[in-house]
Amino acid sequence: MVALKKDEIQSLVEGAVEFALKAGADEAEAFAYQGLIANVIIERGQISRSSRIVDRGIGVRTILDKAVGFAYTNVLESREAIEKTVQNALKTAKASKPDKDWRGLTSKKPQVSVGNIYDQRITELQSEDLVNLASAMLDAAEQTDKRVFPIEGGVGTSELVTAIANSNGVACFDQGTVIECSLATVGQEGGDVTPVCFEFNTERSYKIDPEWVGREAARLAASALKAKKIETKSARVVFTQVAFHELLYYTLVNAVKADYVQRGQSALKGKIGEKVASEIVTVYDDGLLSGGLRTWKFDGEGVPQQKTLVIDRGVLRSFIYDNYTAKKEGRESTGNAFRAGYLSTPYVDATNFHFMPGKRSPEELINGIADGLLVYSLQGAHSSNPASGEFSVVATPAWKIKNGEIVHAVRGAMLAGNVFELLKSVSDLANNERKIGQLVAPWVLVESVKTIGK
Amino acid sequence: MSEGRCCLKDNLIKVVNKAQELGAEYAEIRAQELFRTTLTIEEGRVEAARQGIENGAAIRVIVNGAWGFASVGSFDIKSLSDAVSSACKMAKTASSKLRNPIRLAKTKAVEDKVLTKPRKDPSKIPVEDKINLTLAINKMILGYDKSIKTCTIDYLDMTGRNYFINNEGTCIEQDKLYIWSRITATAKKGEIFSFSREEIGSTSGYEIFDVETPEIVGERLAKRAVEQLKAKPPKGGTFPAVLGPNVVGVFVHEAFGHLAEADLTLSGSILLGKIGKKVASDITTVYDDGTIKGAFGSFKYDDEGIPTQKTLLVNRGVVVGLMHSRETAHKFNVQPTGNMRAEDFRVEPIIRMRNTFMEPKDHSFEELVEDIKFGYYLKSFRGGQANLDGTFQVGIQEAYEIVNGELGEAIRNASISGNTLETLLKVDAVGKDFELWPGRCGKGQTAFVCDGGPHIRVREVLVGGSA
Repeated sequence: MVALKKDEIQSLVEGAVEFALKAGADEAEAFAYQGLIANVIIERGQISRSSRIVDRGIGVRTILDKAVGFAYTNVLESREAIEKTVQNALKTAKASKPDKDWRGLTSKKPQVSVGNIYDQRITELQSEDLVNLASAMLDAAEQTDKRVFPIEGGVGTSELVTAIANSNGVACFDQGTVIECSLATVGQEGGDVTPVCFEFNTERSYKIDPEWVGREAARLAASALKAKKIETKSARVVFTQVAFHELLYYTLVNAVKADYVQRGQSALKGKIGEKVASEIVTVYDDGLLSGGLRTWKFDGEGVPQQKTLVIDRGVLRSFIYDNYTAKKEGRESTGNAFRAGYLSTPYVDATNFHFMPGKRSPEELINGIADGLLVYSLQGAHSSNPASGEFSVVATPAWKIKNGEIVHAVRGAMLAGNVFELLKSVSDLANNERKIGQLVAPWVLVESVKTIGK
Repeated sequence: MSEGRCCLKDNLIKVVNKAQELGAEYAEIRAQELFRTTLTIEEGRVEAARQGIENGAAIRVIVNGAWGFASVGSFDIKSLSDAVSSACKMAKTASSKLRNPIRLAKTKAVEDKVLTKPRKDPSKIPVEDKINLTLAINKMILGYDKSIKTCTIDYLDMTGRNYFINNEGTCIEQDKLYIWSRITATAKKGEIFSFSREEIGSTSGYEIFDVETPEIVGERLAKRAVEQLKAKPPKGGTFPAVLGPNVVGVFVHEAFGHLAEADLTLSGSILLGKIGKKVASDITTVYDDGTIKGAFGSFKYDDEGIPTQKTLLVNRGVVVGLMHSRETAHKFNVQPTGNMRAEDFRVEPIIRMRNTFMEPKDHSFEELVEDIKFGYYLKSFRGGQANLDGTFQVGIQEAYEIVNGELGEAIRNASISGNTLETLLKVDAVGKDFELWPGRCGKGQTAFVCDGGPHIRVREVLVGGSA
């Protein structure tokens, strides 16, 4: 399938909006997505697979008497298929119920410029190049420690294109690239098997370091061997970005979304201006972050992305909004509407949820801890209570810190508590920030986390 | 339509032939025509009603012992031809660093046409009716008690057809039908939040809602949300526990099932080297079964064209089988089990569970509870996850204390954890009841599954309490 060009995609969405208005819609919006994805895959110690996915389609939202309808298709070859999709959107709007809070689609705003989200070099990589990168990563892992088995991983590139048009004259086009390499490993020695350890490097530009990923994935697995149980007590815990992301994804990130707040599902409702975290915590939702994994010119409704101060030195300053939730409160969208491809209507989500780093290196952070835990990943974070922030998870892999040094791996320790209490107990942030999904953060030190061991 | 299909099938066969011309040792094409309706309802508001079409094809080949894969959202012969060339080229490139070539277990070629015969075909039910049904569930829940603040309902139905053709003579047309709904509610009293969720899922038809009516589902969920407001956090530590069928299901699926997916076993799960060995108490028998009529994890052929089956995984405490693809079956020198599933045409099939459960035995619920001085009854789960080393975690949304052989106060936000095999060996009594619950399993892709079993008693398990 030949990739669609910029003007083809733009005329696709603009044509759909025009047709919808002609067919009787009060308002209409069309969103097109095209993804070209290539992967080279490592399975059980070898490169054994390679794949290429071409996926594209269009989703059309129509509004009739304040009732919203939506239809999509990935059949783009014929004009009839697009028109049928618009008709389906109108049909679902008719079948639906009016929404008294509907205040219209987004209006046209000046576009913003963002840096480092598209790199021509990524689009020019051939599958041979990806095989070489994967191979370098695999070799680095194998040379680091013989007790480590690379179970899965790979190298992948994506070239993503989106276009939006609506009946208020919004018309935007954006394109971006992503390159990623990752490796999951287990350490094995005698009868001892470690939990899965992994490392990864995801960037918008062609500047990944597969050897580092391989070495780190192997080093983690090797150091997760010979794990011991620990005592039940209250401990100082350093969360790496992976663990911190898992913890926040189902709790804090949801709690600042305007739809959660408006529906009374957020523990932060009514707390604007109040202290919700320790005073060293400052968080932006930064949709403009240079090279950010979720940086785009505009959001899923064509609103320019922006940088929103969410928590300022511990004080809650703002929630994040899409068009619907913003208009409900008579304010402006913060550019936080997201779409899961062309199949999805927009929903509120964070862009780059940025915890500002501190001054100390991760080593200095560890060196200052007489007794504590270093937690790389969590199991079961998705079973946290999303409304209250209560969690009860397994820290794995994790390491015991004693007198400023990592002394041994820890097996099966559970951590329990409440995320909103935990944020108030953050006592330090390191200077090693990195990007993972929607989080950009350094290692975070939290005081007195309940850890349940034997 | 029939002419179109005939033409589509011819094109698919051409593509498989082309793969062979390009040097493929093995080639398959899987085409999908899919129609999907989804709804989201929040507090009486229809957030969106959505409908759409997803047509596309996935081509998988082996060239020089390596896999190549290409998927494309189109059926036109030019796009399919490009995709097959691309798949073969990808495989050749991948094979450059190959150490152990991929081989597939030999299987019998199948020619079949599988039609679904729902009593109520969701594609024939007007969207209005689906909106009214979900609104009725919403209303039932929000009206149950004034402490219930929010209720979100997601509804999904998918209907369509899959074609599977390979170069070994297999040619299958298979209708697909899935109905699913997830209902969540939050309740609030003072500063206490509770959260409750339920899922409904079926492959039989829209008639599932004649059994899971708004009243039945609504009350089950609303009652739990309200009761949880009065619940207290558990004590952290090791305690005896009785697990309800819903929790047994997620335990069998997450803590054991994933380790018995042969790809993960080969990656070094703790079951590697345990085949034929005792890993659980004598009263523990576990199946993964794709043949249960109408169950959410059932189908006739998997996405390698292999008939589904009832696979015995643990027989009276001994691991006797794993879940296999043709590739892993060849490695273990066994037959594939029909567990290969792809979420849609965009992605490759991987080994997935179907309906996974523990077999019931002889105890009544009272008998399971009566000898426990202090412990927990874990009735319903919120989520679960396991690691290859056997560390598992299951979050619990409904639990009670057991005090002197009787159920006591409600407990909130508990979770259990431990090592799968150690825990399976501690199963000391198995109930005679049985329930199967629908759910979705994530392993990079989403698969529709069921899991369940009877009530069971575990001598001890680590319970993690809230702070």
